[in-house]
Amino acid sequence: MKQKSIISRREFLKNASKTAMGSALFLTPFAKKGMTHEHVRQKTTVVLVRNKAVLNASVKPDYRVVLDMLDKGITTLIGEKNPVQCWKKLLKKDDIVGIKSNVWKYIPTTSQVENAIKKRVLDAGIPENRIGVGDRGILRNTIFKNATALINARPMRSHHWSGVGSLIKNYIMFVPRPWDYHDDSCADLATIWKLPIVKDKTRLNVLVMFTPQFHGKGPHSFNPKYVWKYYGMIMGFDPVAVDSIGVRILQAKRKDFFGEERPLNPPPKHVFLADTRHNLGTADPDKIKLIKLGYQEDILI
Amino acid sequence: MLFPVLLLLAFCLMAKNMEIEKLFHQIPAEISGWKQKPGFKVFGPDTLFDYIDGGAELYLSYGFKNLLSFGYFRTGQPDITVDIFDMGTSAHAFGVFSHSRETLDQSIGQGSEYSDGLLIFWKGKYYVSLLAYPETQEVKMTILKLGARISDWIKEKGKLPAILQQLPAEGLIRKSIRYFFHYIWLNSHYFISNDNILHINENTEAVLAKYEKNHTKYLLLLVDYPDQEKAFDACTDFVKHYLSEAANGIRKISDDSWAGCRIAINKLWVVLNADNEKEVIDIFTNLSVE
Repeated sequence: MKQKSIISRREFLKNASKTAMGSALFLTPFAKKGMTHEHVRQKTTVVLVRNKAVLNASVKPDYRVVLDMLDKGITTLIGEKNPVQCWKKLLKKDDIVGIKSNVWKYIPTTSQVENAIKKRVLDAGIPENRIGVGDRGILRNTIFKNATALINARPMRSHHWSGVGSLIKNYIMFVPRPWDYHDDSCADLATIWKLPIVKDKTRLNVLVMFTPQFHGKGPHSFNPKYVWKYYGMIMGFDPVAVDSIGVRILQAKRKDFFGEERPLNPPPKHVFLADTRHNLGTADPDKIKLIKLGYQEDILI
Repeated sequence: MLFPVLLLLAFCLMAKNMEIEKLFHQIPAEISGWKQKPGFKVFGPDTLFDYIDGGAELYLSYGFKNLLSFGYFRTGQPDITVDIFDMGTSAHAFGVFSHSRETLDQSIGQGSEYSDGLLIFWKGKYYVSLLAYPETQEVKMTILKLGARISDWIKEKGKLPAILQQLPAEGLIRKSIRYFFHYIWLNSHYFISNDNILHINENTEAVLAKYEKNHTKYLLLLVDYPDQEKAFDACTDFVKHYLSEAANGIRKISDDSWAGCRIAINKLWVVLNADNEKEVIDIFTNLSVE
């Protein structure tokens, strides 16, 4: 039985004021008594890494810079100088690793990000035949079907129906009928993370913010007018916390671009309901320790 | 008995598909150096997800019937993707177009918008999108030319939804008009609640618009219910959950703005984002729904 909760505008606005940019993000209308997940007891760390050199003149990512950003993120998250050692802490040698990517043709995860992650998984001692990279069709992919560890990597963009397409939503390909999760603008996407095929397997979340999209239009929900160079990558162990930081950046960009508060269309409630309804992680900015590395101009958060 | 019914349904479906396919055969094989890619695809309500995944919900909520999709290519230039949606009625086609409209432009079809390689327009029961990325000057000119040609081939013009005529003209910001049948789209433009407290569904028409009058700004929502009882139920829920049971149906909410609602037979008028109580009362007075 789905838990029913009404979020009013009153609560929407009350909690919106808690965010740094005054954006509507974390909505906590319900008492958190009884929540047991680790993220409630201590601050969740999220690392935002930016590097202006990540995009070349053709607005394509530079692999070497991507790898450097990934290394900076993981070493900061784990507190260990050597990135390979960090990955060895994340993965066991006998792991079967699925790198869940995203192939949306206008803003994909990119091969550069996929290859950088794969390199570090290889460096951690996982043989190539136990590493898979995929998106659509992963339910037919033996690596993903048998995976013991997942790395979740996808770009951030506004989305027609769920408000944003980001890390939580990236696991929708693990279900045979994705549209079964479209009810109430994808409010309960977090439940996918509790299915046996993914539950407790995610070792790292990487939200790619090289060229995020903050607004969509038309059937393909894409217009380059609403895509900007942010040169960023957000990493963390808590997908809800990482997504919530990404949403705040998108909201800030929308305010900057439109010159007024313009909520994401529709509101990305699945991100905060992943916290308040499903206890998958935290979207509360007061409970997130955000570490910002690299390029600071127009950081929007 | 069942067999003839299934046969009739299959025939109706084929006839619908043939109608949109017929449109394809009128479209030029070549335009400004762009050549049509071989073939086309037709998607129905059950297969639209295969084409645009999560984006399908928008069109389905507006009564989508089928989609004709095809493309053009030219060496050294971006491909052009053309999507023609049969939305069943002109009201639905307008509704889906209004969902994202930012400007007023009627240069193509009955309303259009172009920016950065994307042209969208509506005409009759069709909603049309032409997309090329990245934009070049040549592809921009071709998209506009092709869009105009497609618009010419759609002979029948559509009527705007009648409910729009009930919006007071004074102060109305026309480009802000949003017409919908699903509460999610209300939240898209003005967040009220994650629950459907206004009982908006496929049997209710709703229109939301911004107003600017005498240096004040507010939003007006009109919902047309099938009957008075349904309007009353929705009003009761709205007053309970949004206006904290305000006895006169008007209340200051937490962002210091004022909101209120009034029933007029089977219609519900809602004022949102007003500056003060008097303003809400004045709006209702002018609507004659005191």
